[in-house]
Formats: sequence, structure tokens, C-alpha cells
Amino acid sequence: MSISRRKFLGWVGAAGLSTTIGKPAAAATNKQFTGYPKSFAILHDITLCVGCRSCEAACNKVNELPKPDKPFTDLSVLETKRRTTTKTFTVVNKYDNPKYPKSPVFYKKQCNHCLEPACASACFVRAFTKTKTGAVTYDSSVCVGCRYCIIACPFEIPTYEYDQVLTPRIRKCTMCYPRVTEGLLPGCVEACPMEALSFGKREDMIKIAQERFRKYPNRYVNYIYGEHEMGGTSWLYISGTPFKELGMREDLGNTPAPQLTAGALSSVPMIVGLWPVLLAGIYAVSKRKEKIAQTEQEQAVASALVTDRSEPSQPEEES
Amino acid sequence: MVKGKSLPIGAGILVGIVILLIFGIDNFEVEALSKAPDQTPSYLYRPDVIDFDMLKDIYKKFEKPTAVFLHDQHTDALEKKNKDCTTCHLDKNGSMSLKFMRIKDVSREELTKIYCDNCTKCHAETLAVGEKAGPVKCDDCHRERPEIQSSRVEFGFDKSLHFRHYRAQKNQCDRCHHEYDTKSQKLFYAKGKEGTCRYCHKKETTQDGVEKMTSMRLASHLACIDCHQKTKAKNMDAGPVRCAGCHDAQEQLKIEKVKSVPRIKRGQPDNVLIKTGDKKERTPTMMRVPFSHQAHEEYNDTCRVCHLASLESCATCHSLAGSNKNVENGKEISLETAFHKRGHQSSCTGCHESKQQDKNCAGCHAFMNKTRQQESSACLRCHMVPVPERTGELSTSKAAQMARLMPRLWKETFGPIYTVDVPKTVIIKDLVDQYEPAEYPHGKVFDSMVKKLDNSKLAQYFHYEDTTLCLGCHHNTPVTGKPPRCANCHGKPFNPDYLFRPGIMGSFHQQCIGCHQKMGVEKYLSCTACHKERKKES
Repeated sequence: MSISRRKFLGWVGAAGLSTTIGKPAAAATNKQFTGYPKSFAILHDITLCVGCRSCEAACNKVNELPKPDKPFTDLSVLETKRRTTTKTFTVVNKYDNPKYPKSPVFYKKQCNHCLEPACASACFVRAFTKTKTGAVTYDSSVCVGCRYCIIACPFEIPTYEYDQVLTPRIRKCTMCYPRVTEGLLPGCVEACPMEALSFGKREDMIKIAQERFRKYPNRYVNYIYGEHEMGGTSWLYISGTPFKELGMREDLGNTPAPQLTAGALSSVPMIVGLWPVLLAGIYAVSKRKEKIAQTEQEQAVASALVTDRSEPSQPEEES
Repeated sequence: MVKGKSLPIGAGILVGIVILLIFGIDNFEVEALSKAPDQTPSYLYRPDVIDFDMLKDIYKKFEKPTAVFLHDQHTDALEKKNKDCTTCHLDKNGSMSLKFMRIKDVSREELTKIYCDNCTKCHAETLAVGEKAGPVKCDDCHRERPEIQSSRVEFGFDKSLHFRHYRAQKNQCDRCHHEYDTKSQKLFYAKGKEGTCRYCHKKETTQDGVEKMTSMRLASHLACIDCHQKTKAKNMDAGPVRCAGCHDAQEQLKIEKVKSVPRIKRGQPDNVLIKTGDKKERTPTMMRVPFSHQAHEEYNDTCRVCHLASLESCATCHSLAGSNKNVENGKEISLETAFHKRGHQSSCTGCHESKQQDKNCAGCHAFMNKTRQQESSACLRCHMVPVPERTGELSTSKAAQMARLMPRLWKETFGPIYTVDVPKTVIIKDLVDQYEPAEYPHGKVFDSMVKKLDNSKLAQYFHYEDTTLCLGCHHNTPVTGKPPRCANCHGKPFNPDYLFRPGIMGSFHQQCIGCHQKMGVEKYLSCTACHKERKKES
């Protein structure tokens, strides 16, 4: 089958038309989810943190993680910038304080439990669930180990048990989902002696943050990190030093991760479903045209042959 | 029709269309997440950069940028050739004209001619002798992006420098201070009317009828440099004549400071009772405020800190209600605002509040609510109730005397309101789990705070009884010597009914560690410094 110019243009036109048909379907998926009502959140007041590592110790205990090389009372580990691993779900990092060099700033890092988690949207087996408590939980029984969640997470949190040969899992903070459902406080929050971590309903945590801005206007950067980042997170932060200086990304925008890909991904079923039908239709139409043309041609030839056969006597008669 | 060929061609077109389709969807957008920062060019910074921007309108017309002139460089170059300022600055009635090669303002055309001719002429002559000189072509002066940027720092008198001039001029105030007589159109000296230069000489030159007040910049350069030069000519010690001498940050640090400056005498009171009413004599309802003018002179470097526009009393400009007219000369600010505005160095409250940031005060004051109005009883600290008759000497003394005596004699006359037993040690065992109970040296902390209080006059005034100090920790509590236990209010954390109230563990640690951090007490910042680790029972 050779493609004529006319056919090609027809196909392109059909393709263009189909994008306009596909659009409303894409828009319908861009619904913003602003979190479950009355879900919990944790507010980390960075100005209050003294870097005692009690939260790290508590996290280790409640999650039954292996003992670290250095004890949690050893504060020398704060000298290096650390990240979460399969054995530590939360780390406290120390940052210089340009305003008061004698009192450095400490920032606790762990899974932020996004309202619309990027990890969950990247996972094609639905191993991640945004629960009604606010926690993003992980189900290792369905995980296939593709590690798309690691790539998807804008905060670089999920880690993979590369050392487990048979049953490798993704490991990250669970926001103490089992404890919270029992009515207990998350391990880190309960252990924090400074109450630098507050636990409660997300809207209450935002209220506390705003009250502190009001009460001590000179102490804080007037911004709640996590209120809107990536569509909002269940961990909120307030700080006296700009968040950028604490290695926290300020370039993430307020769009939840699933929404960034929803437009393109929503057209996948359309392409997968509609295109074969469309192309098959075009193919069938052109095939039918060819077939009709062929039959017409055959008929013409046949009729020509018939006349050829029936008429030769005439010229003979004439000649 | 060849079947083998059509399949790959069809597939290729399909892929092409799919790509087209994806990029055609406009809601598929991922913004660039990183942006390269703008590179700042490296400039050379000098304090003596002068922008020739008098003719910037003309320059715009000819699309030429303003020229940049380095004053000290020219002064130094002329000095080397034994030439003086008259090379560029003409003489005007015995003093130097600050303008270049002219005395009066001239037309634009003439001005352009003066600059272009004189600058290039001198540069060309110097070059002809084979020496280094400035540009002779237009574009070399009028450059788009000059490499040299100004690092000029504002300069002003402080009390020390004022005293040094006062001493050098042999107490002759009229050498600098003057008033303007509109009739004779001459400057004259009015004794007792002296004020700071900036009261009349504003940022820009202003004209009020016949009275033309030159800008502060012109006035100071005219007066200061002229005097410095004349003094130098007599081979005497004189102030700077080069730009850097006053306007370079490093040079400013080298200016000699007199440690104990005698009081400037200008007929100001030692003590005053600040009126709470204005000239319109609306009945003032608040008590008058005794104020030690003399003490406050010591705390500030210039009179301008409080007296923003003139050395008159506050009520001269500020009225009870504030002027309704939409003018921005300060008269629209009410008396109440002028005295109480927070965050403003010229108001009583604003300045006192800034002192609370001091290391010795921040331990308590950093935790106090910054936006709520103060308790009403706190008003009485300044707006004092007049002394009752039974106090004898105090009540009969004159108002000014009272202002001086009151804070000091109050306690002697009336004594402390409560006698409070301050416990020596307090055992804190509200939360004992991992650690043993904490032994808190309550008496030691209290004594050290009293000691700090004794070193500050301001603190003494406002913490009139020692028991005021108790409120630093025992907040929201009447000072009776019997404060409630902390755990009465601070119980379990994160109680939605008391959203903003920390729990017991949080409140102790926030209070203790926060105070130590703010006051620079570093030795108690580890867990075991306060409570010993509990030995696990086996």
C-alpha cells in the first residue's frame, strides 16, 4: 500500500481533531485534592530545635530499626550532612546561623507525607496509600521493586534495601501510622523535649504557626513550608533562617506531583484505546475504497472483455 | 502495493503523530526548576565618585550616559604638581566655589562647554608633556557601564566630634551655628537657638520665600571644607579635605573619639514632667511623665534621635489628635503615637523595646508577646500617680525635683509591696523517666538576675520591685510569692482546647534552654548538665 499525499493529510487532520476531542478528558483528571478533612500533621518549629537527636532515638525504637554505629547521644554525627537511609527514617542536620553564629540551626528531615504523594502516583502497583490520618503508608507485599517512587519523590526520601537479596523493601518514615491509629503520638513528637514538634490536626498546626508569627514577628520567616509545597504536605515547617539555607527546596511550586503528569498521562488511554480504532477505520475505509475501485475496475475489464468477446463478429461483418 | 514496506512507514507515522499529540497538549508543562543566577560584575569601589548628572536630560537626548568623576584622584594629581583647588574651583567672596570653573549656575550650553573644554584641555596638556592623564574623547568619560562604583558612606557629627570642634573653636558657637534674617537677607547668630544643621539644610535645596536653604550636602561641603582648608593653610591641625576623609568607611573609624563628652549646654532642662496635653489645652487625662532629660542625653549620640525636626518640646509639633491635613512633616502623628510607636527609635517605647534585645534582658523579654498591647498597669510605670501628701518632702518638692527624685525615693518611702521568700533550690520531678529529677538552683538564678538589674538604670526603673523579675518565668501570675505550679497550666501537650499552650516537658525546656541561649549561658545546653541519667533497674 503506498500512501498518497491526500491520505497523509487526511490522517494528520484526523489526529489534530482527535486532540481537541481528548482535551476535556484530560481536564477532568486535574482535580486538586487538599487533604483528608481533619487529617493529622506535624509542625516542626526549627527555631526551637536544639539538635539533641531524641527524635532519631525514638524513631529507631518505635520502628524497631537496627542499632546505629554511634549512639544517639553522640552529637558529633551532626557535623556531617546526612540523609535518610533504610535504617534511619529521620535525620537531624546542623546548619550555620549567620545571624547568631553561636547558636546553629537544626532541621529534622524525614518523609513529608504529601497530601498528593508523588511516590504514590508513580507507583503502578499501588503500594503507597495516603491514609486518612495523613500518613503515606507502604505495602511491601505488592511492591515489585521498580523504585519509581525514589525517582518521583521531590524530597529524596524513599530508600531501597539493596542489601536484601530476596525481600528488598522501600523504607521511609510511616508518620507512625500504627501508633497514631492507636491514639498515641508519633515517636519523634513524643520524645522531643523542646516540643519543637507539634502534633495535631493540620488546620490546627497552621493556626499554631500563624500564632507564633503574630507573637514573635522578628523570630520567624513569615512562611509555613509545606502548607502549599507540591500541593501541601502533612509535615509543616517554620523557621527563622530562610528555608533555602537549610537545604530545603524552594523551587517546587504548589502543583501536586500527580497533576504535573496528569495531562500527558490522561491521553494515554485515549491513544491506546482510540487510535487503533481510528487507524483501523481509516485503513478499512481506504481498503474498501481500493476494493470498490478494484471491483469497479474488474467489472469494467470484465464488461470490456464481454463486449470484446461479443462484438468481434461485427467488424468482421463490416470488413 | 507492497505489503512489507507499508507496515514500517505506517508505524513511523503513527509514532510521529503520537509525539505531535503529546507536545500539542498545553497542560503538559514542567517548568524549568533551576535558573542560572545573574552574574554580578566585579567593580572597583571608591568613596570619591561623583556623578555628573546635572545634564542628564541632555545626555539622554544624545544618548550619552553620565560621566563619572573621581575627585580624590584629581586632588592628589594636582597636589603632586604643586597646584591647589583653585585650578578647578574659582574664588567666590574669599571662599571657594564648589562648582567647577564657575560661580553661578549657567545655561546648559555654557555648562557643557565649561566641562568639555576645561576637562579635555587639561588632560590634553598633561598628555602632551608625556604624563598620564584622563580621557580626551567624549565616549571615554561618558561610558555605559563605568567600572568604578561609589562606596560613599553618609557622614554626620556625633557628640564627640561636636565637642572636639567646640573645644577647637574656643567655645564660639557662632563659627558654625547661624540663623537667616529674611529682611537683611544675611546669616546671623542667635544665641540659644542652635540646632542641628539638618533641621534647616534638608536633603535637597529648598526655597521658602526669599530664604534659600542649601542642601545638607552643599552646606556642609561649603562650610566644613572651607574651614578645614583655611586652618590647614595656617599650618594647624585640621579636619579632612579629601572625600575619603569623611566618606570612607575605614577612614571614619580612625576619627578620634572623646570618651567623656561634657554636656552640650543649650538651656535644656535636667528633668521635666512631660505634658500629656497639647497646645490646644484639651484636658489631659493621663498623668504627666517624669523624665530625666540629662540622663537620656548620655544614651544618645545626637539630639536628632528624639528631636526629629527641632529642639522644641514634643507638643510643639505633635498634638493629641494629630493634624488632619495630609502633610508629611510629622504633625500628622499624634502625641500618643510619637511616644509609644513600637519599632521606632525616636519614640520612648520603641527605643526602650530595642534595649530589651540586650543579652542581659533577652532571657525574659524574648519570650514576651511582641504585638499585644502592654498591660494597663504598666502605663503607671511612666504615667506616675502624684506623690501623696503624707510623703512630706516628695509632695512639696517642685515638679522638676520630683522627676529626679521619684524613682529613687519611691522604694525608700513606701518599701517593697511584697516580701517574697525566694527558695534556694527547686526539685523538678514532674517528668521523671529517663533522667533523675532536676535540681534547679532557683536562688542562684534569681540573685544573678538581681545583679544584672543593678547594672542597668533603665532596668531598675521598670523592674521597680525585685519581684517583677519573678514574672520572667512565672508569667500570667500575680507576684505574691506563691506562684502556682507550672504543671497546673502546662499539662499534656497538644491539647486542642489550649492550642498555643506548650505541654509540661516542652514548657520547661523551652523556658530554661531558651533563656540560656538568649543570655549566652552555654554550659547548660546538654541534657546531663541539668539532670543525671537514670540507672535502669535490672
